[in-house]
Amino acid sequence: MKFERRSVISILENVKKSLTEAFSFMLPLLSIVLIWQLIVELKIISPRLLPPPSEIAQTFLELSSQRTGGVPILLIHLYKSFIRIALGLSAAVLFGVTFGMLMGVNRVIYRMLQPIISFLIPIPTLAWVPILLIWTGIGDKTIIITVFLGAFFVIVYNTANGVRNVDRHLIWAAQIMGANKWTLFTKVLLPGSLVSVITGLRLAVGYSWRALVGAEMLAATAWGLGYMVFAARALMAVNVMFVGLILIMVTGFIMENCIMVPLQRRTIERWGMVREM
Amino acid sequence: MPSLTKRLGDSASLLAPLFFAFLVWEAMSRLKLINPILLPPPSKALMCMYRLLIARTPDGHSILLMHIYHSFYRLLYGFFAAAVIGVALGLAMGMNKYVYGYFNPIISVMVPVPGITWAPILILWLGFGDPTIIAVAFIAAFFPIVYNTAAGARSISKELIWATQTMGANGRTIFFRVLLPWSAAYILTGLKLGLARSWRTLIAVEMIAATLWGLGYMIFDAREFLLTDVIYGGIILLAVIFFMIENVVIRAIEEKTIEKWGMKIEI
Repeated sequence: MKFERRSVISILENVKKSLTEAFSFMLPLLSIVLIWQLIVELKIISPRLLPPPSEIAQTFLELSSQRTGGVPILLIHLYKSFIRIALGLSAAVLFGVTFGMLMGVNRVIYRMLQPIISFLIPIPTLAWVPILLIWTGIGDKTIIITVFLGAFFVIVYNTANGVRNVDRHLIWAAQIMGANKWTLFTKVLLPGSLVSVITGLRLAVGYSWRALVGAEMLAATAWGLGYMVFAARALMAVNVMFVGLILIMVTGFIMENCIMVPLQRRTIERWGMVREM
Repeated sequence: MPSLTKRLGDSASLLAPLFFAFLVWEAMSRLKLINPILLPPPSKALMCMYRLLIARTPDGHSILLMHIYHSFYRLLYGFFAAAVIGVALGLAMGMNKYVYGYFNPIISVMVPVPGITWAPILILWLGFGDPTIIAVAFIAAFFPIVYNTAAGARSISKELIWATQTMGANGRTIFFRVLLPWSAAYILTGLKLGLARSWRTLIAVEMIAATLWGLGYMIFDAREFLLTDVIYGGIILLAVIFFMIENVVIRAIEEKTIEKWGMKIEI
């Protein structure tokens, strides 16, 4: 492989640019941590209510070195939450996209289901928890179903609208050129609705993430990020609460900015379907 | 202006499937295809709401209305505080790049945090009850509002501002005549999103931190007594209430403001 001088320089410049960006992103966050530490050091707020960041970091290290069955406690919390959201969300994507497609291609199904979906969307996802607690009891099942419900309706809604909003002329053009129903579906309707499906998916991730944390507070038995924060309150373990809060913050940030935004950008931009705003 | 018959036809075709779904549910429960304690017929759930509506507390208030009233004023306090502070900060971020540079990382980190996460910490600080619930409702609405307002105010084209400046507009005129109308659509999107988040989070936090009243508290408390008809009735009520807020109140505001100014963003 040949390296041109120019490309090396441009790579270095890119690295430098992203480092400066990362630095200017971290600086305000660091300043907050500093102010926070200072407030506690100066005893403006009692450390029993607001533990200093240094102590929280210590608790973080303790929790990541304490093990049950050979696995660090924090990892189990993270893992449990991850499994729940992965199961609930993938079920929601599977059923949601199928349902949405059916509603999109068939007008009778759309007319039947659309009012029901619009009725169910505004219900706060966690309102289902009391009912699910009676149906399935405390534990994983209730949490996974809540996550599912949080994601399902937005996916259906966006998929159905995506299919229905595919340009009529495209469909006619394909039909004139002799496309059968299957070709029409896979080559026109499916790609045409993708922007909307992915938008729905991104919304769904946010919804199900919120549902997960809330449901874990109300229905988890031993593990999960939401449970961790909620259970720590009963023990007045303020440090643990903040460790959990920061973990939730970081996980949410990574999901949104390192998974969903690039996914949306890659797929939609690559297929040249950026929506004009 | 659609004619009355068309409107009636529209709402009929909207309501018929819902009515049908309720009918199926009613039949399943009445015929005991599903345990009627787990899934009571909707008629029973609605009757139960009616009974709660006419039932009185010792000082003569309707029980259901008390629940609704408590949820509403918590939502309004939290949301309005978030709207005022959020829009102000968002506009400041849009106008000044240093303010933006400082607050943008903080906001981006906070936006994906579910509002309910703050509940346990706030319970510790403020105790059970209204202060905690209102604070959580505030937090849930605040970040989407700031985020969207800042995005809107930053999206204004420099040329527009330059044009008004050359025509001799001062800072105040630019703010009120250019920046604010330009950002209005984004601000409204943020407010809508904030209100929806605030509402969803409110119901959840009422389950955790309310002491006596609130719709979230009502359905969560009913669980302890296996009063499934209260829970289902409550869920239906929640859907109807937010449907009304979104389609009556917010629609009216949109029509009066951004649609009239021709600034609606089509999404």
